[in-house]
Amino acid sequence: MQSSRLSPRFPGQLLDPAGRLRFGASLALVVALAVVAALVSISSGAYPISVTDMLRVLAGQPGQDAAARLVLMEVRLPRFLLGFLVGAVLAVSGAILQGLFRNPLADPTLIGVSSGASLAAISVIVLGEALLGHWLHLAETWALPLAAFAGGSGTVFLAWKIARRAGQVSVATLLLAGIAINAIAMAGTGLLTFHANDEQLRSLTFWTMGSLGHAAWHDLVVAGPWLLLALLMAQTLATPLDAFLMGESVVGHLGFDTERVKRRAILVAGLGVGAAVAVSGLIGFVGLVVPHLVRQMAGASHRTLLPICALAGGSLLVAADSLARVVVAPAELPIGLMTALIGGPFFLVILLRMNVS
Amino acid sequence: MTRVVWLAALLLAWAGVVRAQPVPERVVSADGAVTEFVYALGQGERLVGVDTTSRYPEAVGRLPKVGYLRALPFEGVLALRPDLLLTTEEAAPERNLMRLENAGVRVVRLPVAWTLAQVRERIRRIGQTLAAEPEAERLIQNFDVRLQAVEADIRHRGASPRVLFLLVAGSHQLMVAGANTAADALLDILGADNAAGAMEGYKPASREALIATRPDAIVVAEASAGQFRVSDWPELALLDAWQRERVYVGDSMFLLGFGPRLPEALEAVNAVLAP
Repeated sequence: MQSSRLSPRFPGQLLDPAGRLRFGASLALVVALAVVAALVSISSGAYPISVTDMLRVLAGQPGQDAAARLVLMEVRLPRFLLGFLVGAVLAVSGAILQGLFRNPLADPTLIGVSSGASLAAISVIVLGEALLGHWLHLAETWALPLAAFAGGSGTVFLAWKIARRAGQVSVATLLLAGIAINAIAMAGTGLLTFHANDEQLRSLTFWTMGSLGHAAWHDLVVAGPWLLLALLMAQTLATPLDAFLMGESVVGHLGFDTERVKRRAILVAGLGVGAAVAVSGLIGFVGLVVPHLVRQMAGASHRTLLPICALAGGSLLVAADSLARVVVAPAELPIGLMTALIGGPFFLVILLRMNVS
Repeated sequence: MTRVVWLAALLLAWAGVVRAQPVPERVVSADGAVTEFVYALGQGERLVGVDTTSRYPEAVGRLPKVGYLRALPFEGVLALRPDLLLTTEEAAPERNLMRLENAGVRVVRLPVAWTLAQVRERIRRIGQTLAAEPEAERLIQNFDVRLQAVEADIRHRGASPRVLFLLVAGSHQLMVAGANTAADALLDILGADNAAGAMEGYKPASREALIATRPDAIVVAEASAGQFRVSDWPELALLDAWQRERVYVGDSMFLLGFGPRLPEALEAVNAVLAP
């Protein structure tokens, strides 16, 4: 019968030479992209820092400008790392959910992660004063990210529980439950928005557009392990997700524990996206667009798709963030605006090209 | 005896340190009213950046904008190389303000000022911070002189008039100002009752509820001139207050900013309160 292991002796279609070449070329491309994104992200921002100062700070030598050190080491560097991890997790979660649902429209919003996280985060913004009293100062650093994380992974768990019948998770029910939960969470968010005062309204609007503007090492310490864990766990799903492409029944026939695969996929998306939303607010489009882009380039096999998605998603988000802090400098645009602005047209181009072929 | 001398010397030294706070030369102001005060104190030259709520006087248009005061960017503010960030308790995010302080920027956060006493205190604080105390005292005196007429009116008013305070939000939305709003505070200074005082904050206005308020006067705050058209709100025109022309429509920052134009705002609203 079924093996309890996640990936038993699945022969796996070894990549043919052409496929391997394609994978190699795509990998080289996204690695190059990631390097460029890193350089751009570290060197761009409102505060002007000369290249020599930058090298001096990065080499650990005392620079001329103490503020330059602070900007580079305490702001841009953690911001780049956090942005990259968040982008990677969003893209990989999108790819996993699209594979699991065998639906190209699936993304983390669909199973309720984002709406659950927003509801929780906005509750803290609006009701924080009443709930936390004089502990309110903790809200920004702890209560809000924790609530977003709990809200995001909690809703996913709820959707998963609802879709589970007699030990089996119906993927279709999961999707529908996600939609219903989304609607309920949106209503809750609307209610809170109605009760919010002016400042809270502005705060929550900014939160729903996402930002890496306050990223610090603290966020990396808090969310980094979860994000990394989600990325690593995701890679173990590659082979069974390839089997999912051939239909859910095939997965079991090939000797995978279907339920375990689903559970792990949901866990990865819930924990990963929950942690991502907790530190950066709502950032759309990365989870939807990046997997599509990568599939066009590197093919549909998850063993190549997932690692490339991680690198591409991280690079895209970091690039978008670099733009977000330069275009209206010294102010900053919310990054969710940036990703939608870049991702939307990109997606349309893909659609048009798919129609042609 | 020597101890007293020592103590006095120490105190003097301490006072010297306090005074020695260098006069800020490059100031970022993140709050519309605070920016107005900086200009009113004749210190506009020192500003190197403002936030997006600072839209008056016109001179601010030339200054770099660092975004909204509740989403202040760390790097953006630092890039202007300010020695002072002058803002209010509304400023956020906390972490970026802390990092600015670590980067050597003095951050002064003024408390909310919704009463005349608080506004005077705020002017004094800004004056001290910018080493413009004489200008601050002069501004306060001007305030008090201008307000005398309004205050006399308030004293001689019999019953407090009921005022409906509306805020135009977008082209087809009116918000009613309830309790705990700047609008409510303005009415409070004028000794008027907020007709929607039972509500908390700004709430979307329902057409029926507007009629039910039966105010003695109406004040409408709009974000840009001409935004409010009574033709969009025919039921307002039916109200007694409207027919008797006890209506004031004005700029929202002018009415609700609690900045240096506060006396004018109070005079303007007061004019429609008199029966």
